[in-house]
Amino acid sequence: MNNKRFVSFVIKLILFTLVGSFFAWSFKSGYYQLIIDDSEGFIFLLKQHINMVLLSSLLAIVLAIPMGILVTRPKFQKLQWLFMNTANLGQTIPSLAILALAMTWMGIGFKPAVFALFLYSLLPILRNTVAGIKSIDPDLLDAAKGIGYTPAQILLKIELPNAAYPIMAGIRTAVVINIGTAALAYLVGGGGLGDWIFTGIMMRDNSYLLSGAIPVTLLALLADQLVRLIEKLVISKGLRQSVTVSD
Amino acid sequence: MKKILSFTVIIALMVSLLSACSSEEDTSASASDKKVVVGAKNFTEQFVLSKILAIYLKENGFEVEEKNNMASQVVRQALENKQVDLYWEYTGTSLVNYNKLDPISDSVEAYEKVKEVDKENGLVWLDQSPLNNTYTLMMREEKAKELGIESISDLAAYLNDGNKLSLGADAEFATRPDGIKGVEKAYGFKFGSSNIKKMDVGLFYQALRDGQVDVATGFSTDSRIKAFNLVNLEDDKSFFPAYNAGITVHEKTLEKYPELEELLKPLAEKISTETMTELNYQVDIEEKSETEVARKWLTENGLIEE
Repeated sequence: MNNKRFVSFVIKLILFTLVGSFFAWSFKSGYYQLIIDDSEGFIFLLKQHINMVLLSSLLAIVLAIPMGILVTRPKFQKLQWLFMNTANLGQTIPSLAILALAMTWMGIGFKPAVFALFLYSLLPILRNTVAGIKSIDPDLLDAAKGIGYTPAQILLKIELPNAAYPIMAGIRTAVVINIGTAALAYLVGGGGLGDWIFTGIMMRDNSYLLSGAIPVTLLALLADQLVRLIEKLVISKGLRQSVTVSD
Repeated sequence: MKKILSFTVIIALMVSLLSACSSEEDTSASASDKKVVVGAKNFTEQFVLSKILAIYLKENGFEVEEKNNMASQVVRQALENKQVDLYWEYTGTSLVNYNKLDPISDSVEAYEKVKEVDKENGLVWLDQSPLNNTYTLMMREEKAKELGIESISDLAAYLNDGNKLSLGADAEFATRPDGIKGVEKAYGFKFGSSNIKKMDVGLFYQALRDGQVDVATGFSTDSRIKAFNLVNLEDDKSFFPAYNAGITVHEKTLEKYPELEELLKPLAEKISTETMTELNYQVDIEEKSETEVARKWLTENGLIEE
């Protein structure tokens, strides 16, 4: 018991020291001066980035959860495997390819970026919704039917609350991946912090590179914590078990 | 049985992986091979020029590896590190961008200066071509007429009057000293960073044509300017330097293959701005492959046999 704790403590210590020294070095080298020098530009790109992520994530949530619910209804049992296989297949398509396809259909700019990000975020949420609902103990559902719940009541009072944890985990994963993938929006003219990252790559300029990449990383970490907070508020304590779901 | 099978599969995979890694080194071991790496930037003209260079060298007994699609700074560093042996560069780009010197509009002067400076960097400029591919600022023809903008000074006046226009530029043009920042300084105006839309190099012409931006960066030899009804704003203050194309070679490569200088002379001599625009047209508008276009040009000019 103690051994494991000690080892994980040491590993955490090493990681923190490495990350900490990286930050110290990059700060001292003045790589983040750019954010201050061009704060107008930075805030503009940051807002663009957040807008892209928010819009695509919301759209994905609004579509994926109902789809997940629909697909687990007894009527659609037969279609379930079709949906899940398509979803899994879709996830293997690299985000860059989806961006390129979106660009050929929708031109350049904000729209194709949001569309591609939306498509890419659908799948984790859909998969987790389905897995979460399917993992509910069938005895529970039986009992609910037994006491006379209508299908709608079963959905709202039993299925969704019980699947809430995996669903939120899916949303969390999707949002974090979304923030990182949004950095590619530069390639389709969609803006966001990726503009600076690519500028840094092309101009061999670490200032641009780090001033773009580190905020994206921090944004992802922040989003992760934020969603965890929402989880704590939304999901009642009793349901907060560690369910083993993919991702 | 299963264990033996899985063991064999793993060994087989490892062997094939290792042989794939080492096979690259084997080919450069034979002393009779003449091998060079040709680099290229990330737009059509560069693809065509590097293809011309590569095919020509291959037909003259060289083994050529092509590394395309790099941004200016990247391919330049690759050359300096000898990861690339030679590539087509533009005099103005090296002068202003890499060497941080003042722009020179006269082609000959610019060439002489940059040749001298880059010699100290260990790079040799072979003959420059008459091809001058300068940056331009473009607008849609009707919009330019509507706003009465014919030159960059007109644009500056329009924006300084409190109007807003959006600019489409790539990461390079938006950051380089001979890019938009230099233009804004020389002409005394500012687009404002929220009005500059950054996008990949190939997308400007489309974005401008489709109205997603009002002004865009262009390359003067790009055939799409005419094809999409775009106009170049006149650089009335002659801000943009001469950007003649020439092959830059790492000095060690030239020491190893001194015949390159004589061999590559005709290439530079025969490529003019009009020629290049025509070749670009064949690739961008007629959608022919760069290889096909390069081969055809070399054959027509008697540089290779068909």
